[in-house]
Amino acid sequence: MNSLDLIDATVPGRLGNVTVGLPRGKLVGLVGPNGAGKSTLLRVAAGLLPSEGTVAWNGRPLSGIPSLERARCTAWVPQEAHFEFGFSVRSVVAQGRYAHGDDESGVDETLARFGLSALAGRPVNRISGGERARVLLARAIVTEAPLQLWDEPLAPLDPRHRLEVLVLARELAQSGSTVFLSLHDLSLASSLDLLAVLCATRLRALGSPADILTPNLLLDVFGVRASATPSLNLELP
Amino acid sequence: MKIKTLCRPDGRLLCPIAQATGGFLACLLLWVAQAAAAPPGAQPAIRVVSQTVGTDELLLALAEPGQIAALSHLGRDPDYCAAAGEARSYPSLASNGDAESVLKFNPTLVLCADYTRAEMVAQLRRAGARVVIFDHYFTLADSYANLRMLSRELGCEKRAERIIGECEKRVAALDSRLRRVRLARVIAPSTFGMIPGSQSTFQDLCDHAGAENLACTLGHIVGHGPQPSEAMLNWPVDCVVVAGADLGSALAPFRDLPPYEFMPAVKSGRAVLLPPAQLSCVSHLRVDGYEILAKALHPEAFN
Amino acid sequence: MHAVHSGMILPARLIRFVLPALLVILAALVLAALATGDMPLSPARVWAGLRREDSMAATIVWQMRLPRILSAILVGAALSSAGLVMQAYFRNSLANPGLLGVSSGGAAGAVIAIAAGWASVSLWFLPLAAIAGAVAATGGVLVLARHGASTERLLLAGVALNALLGAVTSYVLSQYIGLYERNAQILFWLLGGLEDRTWEHVGIALPIVAAAALLWPLGRSMDLMSLGVSEAQSLGVDVRRVRRQMLSLATVLTAVATAVAGAVGFVGLVVPHILRLLVGPEHRRLVPLSLVGGAVFVLACDIAGRLAGGLRLGIITSLIGAPFFLWLLRRLP
Repeated sequence: MNSLDLIDATVPGRLGNVTVGLPRGKLVGLVGPNGAGKSTLLRVAAGLLPSEGTVAWNGRPLSGIPSLERARCTAWVPQEAHFEFGFSVRSVVAQGRYAHGDDESGVDETLARFGLSALAGRPVNRISGGERARVLLARAIVTEAPLQLWDEPLAPLDPRHRLEVLVLARELAQSGSTVFLSLHDLSLASSLDLLAVLCATRLRALGSPADILTPNLLLDVFGVRASATPSLNLELP
Repeated sequence: MKIKTLCRPDGRLLCPIAQATGGFLACLLLWVAQAAAAPPGAQPAIRVVSQTVGTDELLLALAEPGQIAALSHLGRDPDYCAAAGEARSYPSLASNGDAESVLKFNPTLVLCADYTRAEMVAQLRRAGARVVIFDHYFTLADSYANLRMLSRELGCEKRAERIIGECEKRVAALDSRLRRVRLARVIAPSTFGMIPGSQSTFQDLCDHAGAENLACTLGHIVGHGPQPSEAMLNWPVDCVVVAGADLGSALAPFRDLPPYEFMPAVKSGRAVLLPPAQLSCVSHLRVDGYEILAKALHPEAFN
Repeated sequence: MHAVHSGMILPARLIRFVLPALLVILAALVLAALATGDMPLSPARVWAGLRREDSMAATIVWQMRLPRILSAILVGAALSSAGLVMQAYFRNSLANPGLLGVSSGGAAGAVIAIAAGWASVSLWFLPLAAIAGAVAATGGVLVLARHGASTERLLLAGVALNALLGAVTSYVLSQYIGLYERNAQILFWLLGGLEDRTWEHVGIALPIVAAAALLWPLGRSMDLMSLGVSEAQSLGVDVRRVRRQMLSLATVLTAVATAVAGAVGFVGLVVPHILRLLVGPEHRRLVPLSLVGGAVFVLACDIAGRLAGGLRLGIITSLIGAPFFLWLLRRLP
């Protein structure tokens, strides 16, 4: 049973008849040019945007799931977050436990994992963009939701933290969760289990990166030519 | 609870309060003893507070000095009250008052108008004061009715009838003098764009002083209405009626103000002066205003 | 939208003392207000009046001062918590209860009632007309914005309605300008004040208590709602239901407060803001603090206005609130 099933999901003008099924325990990337509809797809998958067609989690259609339970099934990380009020970093991360009765289990460990313990008391609107991105990810992790939907989580992060996040995502996948994230860096994308390519609101391809990232597709979808030069491979020490 | 602590002579701060309270209570006892020794059958004293200028004038005319507890906050202002001089010897209410500020004068009777806030009227009644509301005050007949109403409250009906009799005599005398005069065509200019038409105190003044209020006959304005600036320049205004201390200073603001600055009457200074309070007087004292205006407009009828 | 920098001024260990401190201040203000008034009553007479032993003092204290004090407390609590809700709803710490036209609707209703003379007939008409106006205004906003529409749409509809209702008020003022006394009453009311509040007004203000009770458990949801609708929904908040609750509670609170005290401004903007600067943005803490803090603020302003010679509440809230707020902002790092 797939952890996420989208069948003919359509949002007029923003998403056209997307059918995709994501199996459990996979780290899946979502790539596509700007304006292809990546954020829209993730919102539809998270149940935040109504669409024609069907959305199902673990075989259960979305419409039958009450709101608190939805939050326990799925976590969504927005591309940008604006914080009007200065909640502390710790309390923002703890907001992820709302659907679990506001207990605080796992909050401090997750803060430590993301290197945010020193910032725990700082107001969230007074930290840098990259730190804020890590706070949003930490909040998503803390929900313990088996389906993680992340909208461009790596973009504001520095190279080290990008790798750390991918390592964490890999661990989550290995423990049975599904992580579906959109990204622009195709070289990072090649390390993921599956890749979905969205182009002009439609799904072009779904499969392993090696199969999908062919020169033809790259030229057609992204308008770039790929050459096989020795690339810079980054690793955590 | 904190209230109890205030009353027990606890601590240095509260002793003066206890002393003051004790002293107050002693005086109160003395006063009660004195009052108890008063001759039997003494009339319950009437104390009246007047909330509006119109009722100030009525009260000053009808009541004994000891019966007047307080007058309205505009009572002493000659711009508003035709009996301002008399009003000075009495206390006046604060302008932003509430029911308490009226009750502190211990009134048995409070005089209000129909535009007094309903909450204040209710609060005054709940405190046990009798509240009389005057809601008709535009015409001379209304003024007489109000005099009679107040006199019934004060028990001095004869005095009211005497005042009314005098007023009627004066009005009749004025009417007979003005019987054959040509009505003077007047307006009451204003600096803020609204002039009085029919159904106003100014109209009543004109009716009894041999004047035609052009704002009513030509402008068809009812009550106070916006002045028809352009049409007014064509009106055959004999004379403008202004209010102030003297004619020069009363007319001065209009010499630079459109449309009045272009009016022949203003340019050549054809104006008559009224005391300011008379332009809005709603009591029987308006008869003074009739006489002043009539004499100013038709001096030939008074020789 | 910019985030107003919000650092806490109080160290964490002192935060838990803010509510008890506010309650103590409120009690002290209640006592001060009992002893304040045009009729000079000594504390002994006030106490005698409370125990109904001195009939004039009893009338003053029970019929005049107590209803005024209770009205001040309820109106302050209502305006302040309505402001808090609006700030969470619109995710903007500069939001105020009047944004959606509720208070200008109440003003229009009241102004029409005064001008048409209904207000003189009975003291119920004015507050009820204000509530009718407020309810009509909210209905108008919802219709203009179409049910379930975004906050931007609601805000714009509120702006339009505020303008329209302001025009209605101006029109009424200009039409009845010959009735100077009525106009004076209208302006008097528009400044907002608590003179001559009766037990009827306290009765009209009682829905505030119910609304406050319903608001109390929404604190945590308001935290999440202030992140944004999608974020809150993804974290498990039933956003449609919570938004409806927040909007209707803010409307009821503002409408009733306006009906009782006229158009008092500034309370709903400043009190939650100041409290947020003191104790941080957690709404579970801010809801009870806003209720008590608003009561303290309005009661203090009312007393100050009376001691200053009869200045109306609306003037005092502005005169006191603005400089205090500026001072507080200067202290931030």
